[in-house]
Amino acid sequence: MSNIVEAKSLTKNYGSFTALDGVNLTIPGGAISGLIGPNGAGKTTTLKALVGLCDVDGELSVAGRDPRIARHKLMEDVCFIADVGILPKWLKVSHVIDYVEAVHPRFDRKKAEKFLSTTDIPANKRIKDLSKGMVTQLHLALVMAIEVQLLVLDEPTLGLDIIYRKEFYDRLLNDFYDGNRTIIISTHQVEEIETLLSHLVFINKGKIVLDSSMSDLSDIYTEVLVDADMVEQADALQPLYVRKLLGKKSYTFESVPREQLKILGELHTPSVADLFVAKLKEEKHG
Amino acid sequence: MKGLILRNRYTLLVVTLIVYMGVLVTEGMITGREARVIEFENPYFDFNSNDFEGFRERRNVNENEDEIFV
Amino acid sequence: MGKFAVLQFYALLKREVLEHRNIFIGAPVVVALLLLVATTWIAMQIDQSQLAEGLRFVSVLFDGLSPLDMAPFVMLLAIPFYLTLYVCSVIYLINTLYQDRKEMSVLFWQSMPVSNFQTVLSKIVAIVLVAPIFYVLIIFAMYLIAMVWLTILGISSDVDLVGIGYLFLAAIASLVLIYISTVVTGLWLLPSVGWLLLFSAFAKKTPLLWAGGVFILVGFLEDFIFGTQFLANWVASRTSDPNQYLIFEFQSVFERVFNYDTLFGIVVGSILIAGAVFMRRFTD
Repeated sequence: MSNIVEAKSLTKNYGSFTALDGVNLTIPGGAISGLIGPNGAGKTTTLKALVGLCDVDGELSVAGRDPRIARHKLMEDVCFIADVGILPKWLKVSHVIDYVEAVHPRFDRKKAEKFLSTTDIPANKRIKDLSKGMVTQLHLALVMAIEVQLLVLDEPTLGLDIIYRKEFYDRLLNDFYDGNRTIIISTHQVEEIETLLSHLVFINKGKIVLDSSMSDLSDIYTEVLVDADMVEQADALQPLYVRKLLGKKSYTFESVPREQLKILGELHTPSVADLFVAKLKEEKHG
Repeated sequence: MKGLILRNRYTLLVVTLIVYMGVLVTEGMITGREARVIEFENPYFDFNSNDFEGFRERRNVNENEDEIFV
Repeated sequence: MGKFAVLQFYALLKREVLEHRNIFIGAPVVVALLLLVATTWIAMQIDQSQLAEGLRFVSVLFDGLSPLDMAPFVMLLAIPFYLTLYVCSVIYLINTLYQDRKEMSVLFWQSMPVSNFQTVLSKIVAIVLVAPIFYVLIIFAMYLIAMVWLTILGISSDVDLVGIGYLFLAAIASLVLIYISTVVTGLWLLPSVGWLLLFSAFAKKTPLLWAGGVFILVGFLEDFIFGTQFLANWVASRTSDPNQYLIFEFQSVFERVFNYDTLFGIVVGSILIAGAVFMRRFTD
């Protein structure tokens, strides 16, 4: 499947603050891609740029179009949900559904109503009277009723109760994802989504620090619980990151063949969270 | 060119206003529209780069008037 | 494409009316109620016989006039509504591209397949073509109530009421003329519409201040750079004669729309509106 997102040298400055500093990004079609980064790293700016909500410099192609030129055409194939609860507060639930139905050629009202029937959302209430969890449920129900190629989610579960969060990801995987559609999801709650992902992107201070499929990850990164007597040999292999774990030292290596590392101790693939910390520390020490 | 105009909201605003002013002034000059609507007391308000001599005269007149009261 | 585009545009207009119910419906209803209450109160202060005298006087005055002749007089009763509509229009236009950026709902609107041009166009159509429909309907309701009230008064005071029928027809004619007046005025004032939309889209804060401040600045700059005051000249032409805002007879509509003044205003307005459409991409 071809790449659904191809971005080269994306740059964005807000006055003197550099939000994106030459971002290069490739996301394959059909992936569930996680965009992980600390606060202020540029996650929101990147995702907004992908859906044409933020003007950036550089080369950008999403679902075959440049979002800066053809945003409204792109929006027939792409949907966006942001953490800030962007549904208009003064609208009634039924009005939002009416609006999307009239405005979106690929919206299936029956599907949306089916999804909503499993929630407690009343059709006559205004958005401002719904809880944050319900607003997200509503937005997701609308989005899932549209035949989109790409779904872009910017911290969609931020501030939600665990029940809403679990339901959100369940819905996403079971009802929306079909292997052909692509999902890009940003979060700083790595643990929650790491089992869902097929593709991983780390971003820090406006730069991409890692861009890899999950399957490649185990080929490149290895975590070793090093026996005390092998520490010197381990250091010689230039680890990415070292930390203390259960009295022993845990070394993370990048692009070192596993054969070489076998003798040092117990091997396994680092979790996304640990890898993220390792990559960030690498950035710090240059 | 398009990149320059649409670089940020400020450049777009300035370009729009330049086009706007340009059209107004050009139309006025072509159709011979009445160009003076308000006369200002203060010659500095009427500063017109085409009429520098006239400006100097008006400024000198005002300064002379001030002297009488001093 | 045709039918879907129409449905889409209708949904955009519906959004505008729902979002600004106060301006489209609330304000004229309040004005209508105030007028009805005020006239009722005044009528109660006047002696019954004096009221009957007044009615007789009016029916004599209008005797022999056709509804179309009477319409202009009836239109003058709608002046409070004109003023309300113009004030509300300014509030609407300066806020409409600013509000959703302030509350972040712009991210939702822009995530829908609606182009910036459609968005801005729908707002212009909403205030120039749709809002006056609501106003006219509410004025009509007010006229009806007034007619009924007058009829009751007339019957009780033994005044000849054939004139009431003509007055009703005059009211209908005046409503059509009121609507046409507001639409033609909207076209004539398109530069103002565009100016307000441009700054509504541009400003990060206090869009009205930006709109007013830059307008004065541009006026001074024109004088400073070119020595001309064409902008002031145009403002004077738009504000000098209140009669220009009303069309009292159907015959003058064509001439009011297809004259140089209005057409040039449409050209200038289009430049500013284009600026607003492009400005809409800067949502941050």
